[in-house]
Amino acid sequence: MESIVFGIGITALAGALATVAGAAENVESDIGSQGDPNSQVQLAPQMGYIHRIFNKAVAGEPPAYGLWIALGAGLAWAFMAMQINPILAIVLGSGIAVFVQGVYATTAYLGRTASLAKFGQPVYLDILKSMTTVTMAHAFIAIFATVTLCHLINAALGHPFPLPLLGLVWGIALGAAGSATGNPFYGKERQYQNQKFGAGVPIAASGNIVRYAEAGERNSLDNGWFSAKLGGPASGVCFGLIVFLELWRTVLFEQVGAGWGAIIIGIIIILVFTVIDRYIEVWARKNYGPYSKPVEEASS
Amino acid sequence: MSAVAAKPTAGSAVDMTAMIVGIIILLIVIAATYFVLGYSLAFIALIGIIIGGILIGFGVHFVPVGGAPAAMGQAPGIATGVAMLAAGAGLAGLFGGAWAAQTTDNVLVIVITGAVGGGLMMAITCMFVTFIYVFGMGIPCASGKVAKDPITGDTQPEFKSQGTEGHGLPFVSYVGGVIGGLFGGAGGTLIYLMLLNLYKEELPGMMHALPGQVLPIAVSLAGMFAIGMFLVNAVLAAYNITGTIEGPHDPKFKRFPRAIVASAVASAVCGIVAIMIVAV
Repeated sequence: MESIVFGIGITALAGALATVAGAAENVESDIGSQGDPNSQVQLAPQMGYIHRIFNKAVAGEPPAYGLWIALGAGLAWAFMAMQINPILAIVLGSGIAVFVQGVYATTAYLGRTASLAKFGQPVYLDILKSMTTVTMAHAFIAIFATVTLCHLINAALGHPFPLPLLGLVWGIALGAAGSATGNPFYGKERQYQNQKFGAGVPIAASGNIVRYAEAGERNSLDNGWFSAKLGGPASGVCFGLIVFLELWRTVLFEQVGAGWGAIIIGIIIILVFTVIDRYIEVWARKNYGPYSKPVEEASS
Repeated sequence: MSAVAAKPTAGSAVDMTAMIVGIIILLIVIAATYFVLGYSLAFIALIGIIIGGILIGFGVHFVPVGGAPAAMGQAPGIATGVAMLAAGAGLAGLFGGAWAAQTTDNVLVIVITGAVGGGLMMAITCMFVTFIYVFGMGIPCASGKVAKDPITGDTQPEFKSQGTEGHGLPFVSYVGGVIGGLFGGAGGTLIYLMLLNLYKEELPGMMHALPGQVLPIAVSLAGMFAIGMFLVNAVLAAYNITGTIEGPHDPKFKRFPRAIVASAVASAVCGIVAIMIVAV
């Protein structure tokens, strides 16, 4: 009984850490403009819209976070092997991993922006100085929280994977969940704030991103502030639920029915999310649209 | 050949010569393994790895991925890359499967646990995608490829906003995402389990150590190879899809036979390397 209570406590803590990690990851990627919406940041100067948005997408978020968190976890693991206190080891490992992220962000911004020189896009050094440190700060929170939850899963819950391997697995999952949830909010709602609410961006408007703020030109810190209102927290809750429910079903139900307990609970959770998804979809169809008259004959 | 002369639908054609060459390579690898190692644990591991690879390659085709256009609400699907989203789900499944492998020897339970882990990750992610589209952006779900959702029968074209190919995740895409996660999680876990059993058997003799001493090495090696092979198969399937796919109702889904052959060959070649480090 005591071990189950301990397991649930660790599970809750890991879920909370994952929530923080997911939110920080999405805000970091939006400030750095690393996800799929970056295609528009790259496209804008080619369409004649010069901007002051940061631009560091060289890899997608999942492999990038897989690298940084595996690196942080690997270094933390090495420090722990040197008998350094785990908390200090995780802080040191995450700190070094963040410097790699900083180098990556700097070279990516310089390289990608310089490639747009023929379209008249300047490399803004003040943007480089002020944005890079902010993305690094958010990346540190995401890496530290994820490495810590990996350490809890390994040391307290007894998962067989070593810390660096867990870092790679959950780093890729973090990037996948964060980019899937947060990208549309940044891409549609922020970059195309001048387009109508409640409709997708017409393909003809591609590249015409919003470049001016309340005062002066918009920069990526404004985008971070906007993402922190919904895209970031939603990504956090998404990744937090993934980690929490995956651990919860295993810790509580793995011993039930020779392993079948965790499977049945997992299937029930999937069905619950399916019902919620369908409810939201139907709610949207009743309350929004239709945009045009229903078509009588299928014309696929 | 000029761009004008190139076949516009070359992406969906099945090249029979390439398929036959692929199948021959696959059979050669299987036959060579059988003649060198006989009907051993290594041979069973190779077959398991090939089946796992096929499950991953097939499963990736179900995952609705819209890429960059989806991030602007210009196309349906999830706004990220095919291989990466599938990897995120499959590795979450592998995490669950590896954990189950610690407490039970029942292959079916371990593989299904991994599958459910992948499905769970995709179910939560897809639900949040719909949540953001509907409540964050005020956009309903609409498919660009079919007039009616094959599962719910909901009509789609009138919910497409002007100048877009559709947006969000119609219910069939949601179901496709979960099925993709299930296949990915199962495939990754099967590869891990096959390699783990082989390494646990062979490493103590090779390293002159007790089984308990080599277990962490066996787990780490099997985990690394499983992640690597997962990425190989996910990327191969992503090349087959070429960009974006809405799910099982998308015409691009019919390309999956090519991915199955390619995944089988790639898994066999990668698998033989993973096996040779202990078995030869």
